[in-house]
Amino acid sequence: MNTIKLYLHSMAILMKSQMQYPVSFLLQTIAQLIMEGGEFLAVLLIVDRFDVLGRWMPGDLYFFFGMMSVSFYLTECFGRGVTGNFPTLVRTGQLDTMLLRPRGVLTQVLCSAIDPRRITCIAVGVLALILGSRMSVIQWTGWKVLAFAEALIMSMLLILGLFLIEAVFCIYSVKSVELVNALTYGGRSACQYPVDIYPRPLRAMFTIMAPFAMTLHVPAAWILGKPLYGWPAWTVFVCPLSGLVVFGAVYVLFCHALRHYRSTGS
Amino acid sequence: MRTKAYASIFRMNWKLELQYRGAVLGGIICQIVFGLILVSLYRALYAGRPQVMPIETVSTYVWLQQAFFRMILSSDSDLVGKIRTGDIAYDLVRPLSLYGYYYVRIIAQKSMGSLLRAVPMLVFALCLPRGWGIMAPVSPAAFVCFLLGLMIGLCCVSALENITMGITMRTLDPKGIQAMLNLLMMILSGNVLPLTLYPDAWQKVITALPYAQLLDAPIRLYTGTRPVTEAPGVLLLQAAWTVVLTGAGIALWKSNQRRLVIQGG
Amino acid sequence: MSYIEVEDLCKSFTVRRKREKGHFFREKTTVQALDSVAFSVGQGELVGYIGPNGAGKSTTVKILSGILTPSSGSVHVGGRVPWQDRKEHAQHIGVVFGQRTQLWWDVPILDSYLLLRDIYRLDEKAWKTRLDELTEKLQLGELLRTPLRQLSLGQRMRAELCGSLLHRPELLFLDEPTIGLDAVSKLSLRDFLREENRDHRTTILLTTHDMEDVAALCSRVMVLGHGKLLFDGQLTSLLAKYDRERVIEVSYEKETVLSGLPDGCAVTQTGSRYRVVYDPENVSTAWLLEYLQGAGSIRELTAQGQNIDQLIAQMYREMDL
Repeated sequence: MNTIKLYLHSMAILMKSQMQYPVSFLLQTIAQLIMEGGEFLAVLLIVDRFDVLGRWMPGDLYFFFGMMSVSFYLTECFGRGVTGNFPTLVRTGQLDTMLLRPRGVLTQVLCSAIDPRRITCIAVGVLALILGSRMSVIQWTGWKVLAFAEALIMSMLLILGLFLIEAVFCIYSVKSVELVNALTYGGRSACQYPVDIYPRPLRAMFTIMAPFAMTLHVPAAWILGKPLYGWPAWTVFVCPLSGLVVFGAVYVLFCHALRHYRSTGS
Repeated sequence: MRTKAYASIFRMNWKLELQYRGAVLGGIICQIVFGLILVSLYRALYAGRPQVMPIETVSTYVWLQQAFFRMILSSDSDLVGKIRTGDIAYDLVRPLSLYGYYYVRIIAQKSMGSLLRAVPMLVFALCLPRGWGIMAPVSPAAFVCFLLGLMIGLCCVSALENITMGITMRTLDPKGIQAMLNLLMMILSGNVLPLTLYPDAWQKVITALPYAQLLDAPIRLYTGTRPVTEAPGVLLLQAAWTVVLTGAGIALWKSNQRRLVIQGG
Repeated sequence: MSYIEVEDLCKSFTVRRKREKGHFFREKTTVQALDSVAFSVGQGELVGYIGPNGAGKSTTVKILSGILTPSSGSVHVGGRVPWQDRKEHAQHIGVVFGQRTQLWWDVPILDSYLLLRDIYRLDEKAWKTRLDELTEKLQLGELLRTPLRQLSLGQRMRAELCGSLLHRPELLFLDEPTIGLDAVSKLSLRDFLREENRDHRTTILLTTHDMEDVAALCSRVMVLGHGKLLFDGQLTSLLAKYDRERVIEVSYEKETVLSGLPDGCAVTQTGSRYRVVYDPENVSTAWLLEYLQGAGSIRELTAQGQNIDQLIAQMYREMDL
């Protein structure tokens, strides 16, 4: 499709642009490795000291961590236009330039940035997944692979949608933009562990507001052979759709925000 | 020593930071959510395998870390931009040491930024039930040592950051080195995982590093993990690192200044 | 119906000012950026759009280009309503900002043009032909592989123009295109714009403070002030209205007495040099020259009208802008 071609072409150009400064790029990529490595190290140390978390074995914990890492950093890598670049677009007037082009605004925003430094974070996530899969002895079937893929994609849509809220705040010049971090980065920190260990208010937050429980934990738990709350198999394929729902809802808000932007100017 | 000049720079940066107080509310709520998440996690872990160190200590550690998180973050610096445009000339002409000027700036930014957020957060944490929130300091003496440790720790981390800036001045790349050191800071200061939960053997090494001097050291005094009797030792280590890092920083900046002047605009 | 039809266009903004001491809410004031602006532009016209800062020029351009929605009034460009059919409209317009770039910064400009080809969904062959044409006219041949950040200001402007014309827009908006350019670049830029306008019948709307640009390119000019359209017509008739001051400087071999000059002539004397300021409506230049020649032996004489900037400043003063 034409839009996909544009996206891929844009990503290629942006990569070329980033590679103009190879040393800086390398240092930053290593820095990301340290960070995500550190996060994984924390999980390893926790396992070392505490052995188990609720009914979850170490392998399970690595698997959860891996799923969250991979989906989160894939989104940050390929969706950087939304996840980190948006305030710059508004500030520099690039948003106006986008309105002058015969393409959708969100398309252009997504085409505006890439963050390939996250590749090391994704690698750590993949490592965690492999480790977790081995230790928990997951029996991979066709259905499980499908559930895994769906979970990843829906989580990525969810994360994109949550970051899009930040963009909406940005257009309305809301001062306390950091609030959204509680859902995005907070969501990541919290939901790299299974949600059933948290008290009810937090569980509610991550089931309804930022439904990582639905997009990640329900499928992951089922794949690990320990369905969350003992829910039946079909929930594994239905629950992740909440990621799509959240994205859709925020997208509608985004369109409203753009309408507001176009009536008030910059 | 031009203390008056430095004092006014401090005050000015304080005021600048205060201007952003409108946006601080979102940040406070966000940090509180982070705090609650971490405490819930550790409580769940403790439920499965209780530890020698009581959960109250861990939750106190978490809240203090989150409250003063601002001190760890690297401050906004236009230094590289200034060098590129040549505006740095204005700074060099001032009758103040360049290092000192930026040092005071960083301290002001970090302290004001932290205070704005820490106070409301800690008030909230005090209202939480025992084992969830923050407990009172073990003793008044411990509290005093904590405050002292916090202040020295602030100087220590500012010195560390000035070194990062010094390196950035050379490489003219704000993202590379700074990002790496930022992230090292997050891990080794006890923010990602309380240092007290690291294996004992590791702790011996990590607590000797400068990163741990910022928050981990004072917090241990507060919670009594390190008894007040050991306070002088702790504070001395903090101060020693501060002096070393400041010295190294000044040397680095002086060398940079020479290079700047030689290169011209 | 003309290509651009604007009727009764109004736009107001609510501006929140800083909270005053003693007030609980921040005061809201309404700023009327555009007040019943109306005009029509035919296809292929080259129109200058001038006015002091804050007059509402960029607001008009934003509305015409589809970025901004008006408070009331109607706008049709090529049969479309700009803000309603945004994407369709964008396909047919090009925009060049003097101070902002729409190209990618760190990559060779050719890569930017390739991306634009995809964004505007251009046919490969058509794009290539057009690129070759523009590259030749704008002399970008050697620069195609150079990143934008390494180009000089003049080169950058040429690259921008190329980028905004690749998709053969019917309408081109130019905002301060010659700002910061040296004299040579300015002249060649004007030549290029005239050619484009002539060869492709591109309608061009030029917003600028550079009156030399306007004089060189536009026969028609619109003046905007305080959100109102104050003048719409030929530039020459605009200037004639305000052309009320001429200066003749004459130096004689020796000091001469200039008597008998009519009222309305202001004379300043330094030694044997005289400066006569007069209104050509009231005093005939021919008569004045003859008189001055008769008054003594002239060593040197220069006569000058006001330059265009002075005329415009005069106009602003009289229009109370």
